[in-house]
Amino acid sequence: MTPAIRRRPFLPLFVVPAALVAIAITAGLAAILRFSLHAYVPGSLDVGGFTLDNFADLARPIVLRAMRDTVLICFETALATLILGYPVAYALVRTRSALLKSVILVTAVTPLFLGEVVRTYAWTVVLGNSGFINATLRQFGLIDRPIQFMFTEFGVVVALVHVTLPVMVIMLAAALAHIDRDYEKAAQSLGAGPVRAFLTVTLPLSMPGVVAGFTTAFAWTFSAFATPQVIGGGKVGVVSTLVYQLGLSSFNFPVAASLSLAGLGLALGTMWAVRRAARPLEAMGGH
Amino acid sequence: MGRRLSTRLLRVSGRLLVGLILAFIVLPAVVVTIAAFNERAILSFPPTGYSTRWFTRALTYRDFQTGLWNSLVVTAWSSTLALLVGTGFAIALKRYAFRFKGTLEGVLLSPLIVPHFTIGLGLLMLATGIAAGQGFPVLVLTHVIVVLPFVIRSVFISLQNIDGRLELAAASLGARPGAVLATITLPLLAPGLVSGWLFAAILSFNEFTASLFVTSQATQTLPVAMYGYVREFADPTLAAVSVIYIAVTAALLTFANMVLGLGRVLNVEQSR
Amino acid sequence: MSSRAADVIPAADRRSPDRPTPDLATSDLPAARTARRGAAAVLLDGVLKRFGTVTALEETRLRVEQGEFLTLLGPSGCGKTTLLNLMAGFLEADAGEILIGGEQVTATPPYERQIGIVFQNYALFPHMSVARNVGYGLRMRGVPKREIAARVEETLALVKLQGFADRSPRQLSGGQQQRVALARALVIRPRVLLLDEPFSALDKNLRGAMQVELKEIQRRLGVTTVFVTHDQGEALSLSDRIVVMSAGRIRQVGTPDEVYRHPQDRFVAGFIGDVNTLPARLETLSGVRATVALGDLRREVEAAALRDRPPGSPVDVFVRPDHLGVRPAGEGGTLPARVAALVYQGSHIDLHADLATGERVVVRVPGQGALATHAPGTAIGLAVPQGGLVAFPPE
Repeated sequence: MTPAIRRRPFLPLFVVPAALVAIAITAGLAAILRFSLHAYVPGSLDVGGFTLDNFADLARPIVLRAMRDTVLICFETALATLILGYPVAYALVRTRSALLKSVILVTAVTPLFLGEVVRTYAWTVVLGNSGFINATLRQFGLIDRPIQFMFTEFGVVVALVHVTLPVMVIMLAAALAHIDRDYEKAAQSLGAGPVRAFLTVTLPLSMPGVVAGFTTAFAWTFSAFATPQVIGGGKVGVVSTLVYQLGLSSFNFPVAASLSLAGLGLALGTMWAVRRAARPLEAMGGH
Repeated sequence: MGRRLSTRLLRVSGRLLVGLILAFIVLPAVVVTIAAFNERAILSFPPTGYSTRWFTRALTYRDFQTGLWNSLVVTAWSSTLALLVGTGFAIALKRYAFRFKGTLEGVLLSPLIVPHFTIGLGLLMLATGIAAGQGFPVLVLTHVIVVLPFVIRSVFISLQNIDGRLELAAASLGARPGAVLATITLPLLAPGLVSGWLFAAILSFNEFTASLFVTSQATQTLPVAMYGYVREFADPTLAAVSVIYIAVTAALLTFANMVLGLGRVLNVEQSR
Repeated sequence: MSSRAADVIPAADRRSPDRPTPDLATSDLPAARTARRGAAAVLLDGVLKRFGTVTALEETRLRVEQGEFLTLLGPSGCGKTTLLNLMAGFLEADAGEILIGGEQVTATPPYERQIGIVFQNYALFPHMSVARNVGYGLRMRGVPKREIAARVEETLALVKLQGFADRSPRQLSGGQQQRVALARALVIRPRVLLLDEPFSALDKNLRGAMQVELKEIQRRLGVTTVFVTHDQGEALSLSDRIVVMSAGRIRQVGTPDEVYRHPQDRFVAGFIGDVNTLPARLETLSGVRATVALGDLRREVEAAALRDRPPGSPVDVFVRPDHLGVRPAGEGGTLPARVAALVYQGSHIDLHADLATGERVVVRVPGQGALATHAPGTAIGLAVPQGGLVAFPPE
């Protein structure tokens, strides 16, 4: 136990700038709340009187469908990311070759730092009607007409999985890295084969990482804008694209605000529900 | 014997699987690179000829030029500010108890969960409300907010690796708090500060969604300019820009990995 | 102010004016080390420390005399490290006063206390060379460069590390790192040297040698030293006085011999040295002496802790393994027992025996003869000495 140096030298210097940023974040959210509770005045960024109509407005089919699709897409993406991310994370943590470790790490992590626009654009080149996949398939005479990937939910999910995979790998690897290898060795010494040892020891112990990775992938997907906008091309409506459309194309700030808040509530609510449902899984991690 | 065979089979198929997934990760980058050197204006595979003219066009296109300059300015300001703000806060978070500590931490880390379009919309509404428009200050503030959680995390992890007794020893030897900070804490924190700044810079340089809301034609960053381009044109110019982006980011990350140990920063090293 | 003066006057000279004339009021201490009342090296008066609802240190009074080697001994969580941190100024007391060299320091921050500290892991600054580590405290005091160089060299010589000045701490062995830590703490001529379990990270062979060396240096400089350990062997061999602590309280303060031979309570008796507990019955009690019945035997015991117990009440008699003897079964004046196991210890044998009443005792038998003559199962008579027994009420 190391005691902290008593007193708190430089506390204001350390905390006040951060507090100002926190105030800005809070003020931003407060601005959204303010707009969401006031009436829309067409053609103006000013607002009318207090009203709850903006929230009632959200009950339109197009909004409800976007919300449902958003949650579905987020689930599909998070699940697919989990399934693809786990083997990579496992290989990253367990490989004995330092070179291989570096290669996996840099490969897996680089897309994390590439903005959504670059990655989304790259996927349009891969998925387009005359893009890489269709051209290759046609080259080999496997298809006569291009398969439609662009402007489909499938295309959006594929690109989103690519976007969220790095963060999933990092979170799973962090969880796996902190599991003592001796547990697995102990299981194998007791007669469990590598698969059984993995399924009965490592996998359960990594559950907290799995749950954390899943929820984070969910949040990232929820936040995605360029991917559903460009690859979905207006055919796949999600909350983020709708907010943009309302806020920056129609300049209907009040409804954009209410939809943002509803979206935030939806995201937080779903993540809370996922965490709650996953509590028995997390308990397997034993922490 | 059969067991050994099945184990080997398992290992080989495992490697194959990981290889395929890694291929999925690099596929877009590879494809976009090929497309960038495509001679023809329409994206098509396989390319009929090779040319670097899209790189020339990318580098001379006005929106990309101003976008790049804006991005560099905004990145320099926001990552540096975020480093200053985040370092102080991480130290306070690690070392001190103070009022509203938990609340402050929660709010500052919230951009990890709150969608960026919400943050962007909020700041846009705020800026409109106080007539700040879509100028650089609001843009920089937005970037600071978005990258700050990563800086705090990076510095916090580095602080955890500093033995608190070093600071106590320094204090017992007569070092005042300022001297402890200058001669012990900050020098030992240096790798964490460099990596925190580097990550902040990379993330800020790539930030798009929140920026889209708070930029105007004059202040648009490179990703926003690219988004505008992809909506209007279908030629491989954007592929050329993407290749430059990918190359720079991969180079920075390889550098970070060599100098600082990315695995340590990201906390994914096998603990034993 | 006094800390400035301390910089200039070498430690040995600085202390000499305080060298006291023997004082009868504190005659339980070696006379040469007894100090004037007002000039205790460290005085804690009613000091108390809580962490939340947990009391880490109950109200405590303690005097550390000038030049003495005082050990805070106890199991982990007993409050000894809290006490050390309070002296160093790393923690602030919730009540009471702390004086160093007669000066009030209760609210003085660590950097103004003029205290040297050596941590368990040495806490050497990894980004500085050995010389820069040792010179750190002098730089913080604005000592001129040339004087720093001279004093660093002198102190490195004191800890036998000449020629290591430019090494990085990482290139040093554990023992060498400890010497650097010691040099770094001593070079500022501290009013008190605090040692926080400094030997526990060393391997056993090195530990003994470092202990002797530390004791030599401490004696040569005459620096007041407060040493924290959970190792009773270390405490017994190094200390002028030992403070035995448990559960946030001081249990006993005394010379090593006092706490070893005249423990004041069960905890001290059990914590310092190995000990057997024999059930007995109180017969007569007069002041701090009592007669007890151990089976058929009668023994005089120290019984300060038995105050007010009525005759006939059960008591526990504490006896060291090396005080017990093995005799042939049935010999007069012995307790009947049976050998359970023999544990070879090199210079002696630990003979474990079960008493007829069921208790397990350990007898330390010199030499190796017992291995041949007392196979497990052999009936023996257990000789209990006439003196050196202490009794406590049962738990």
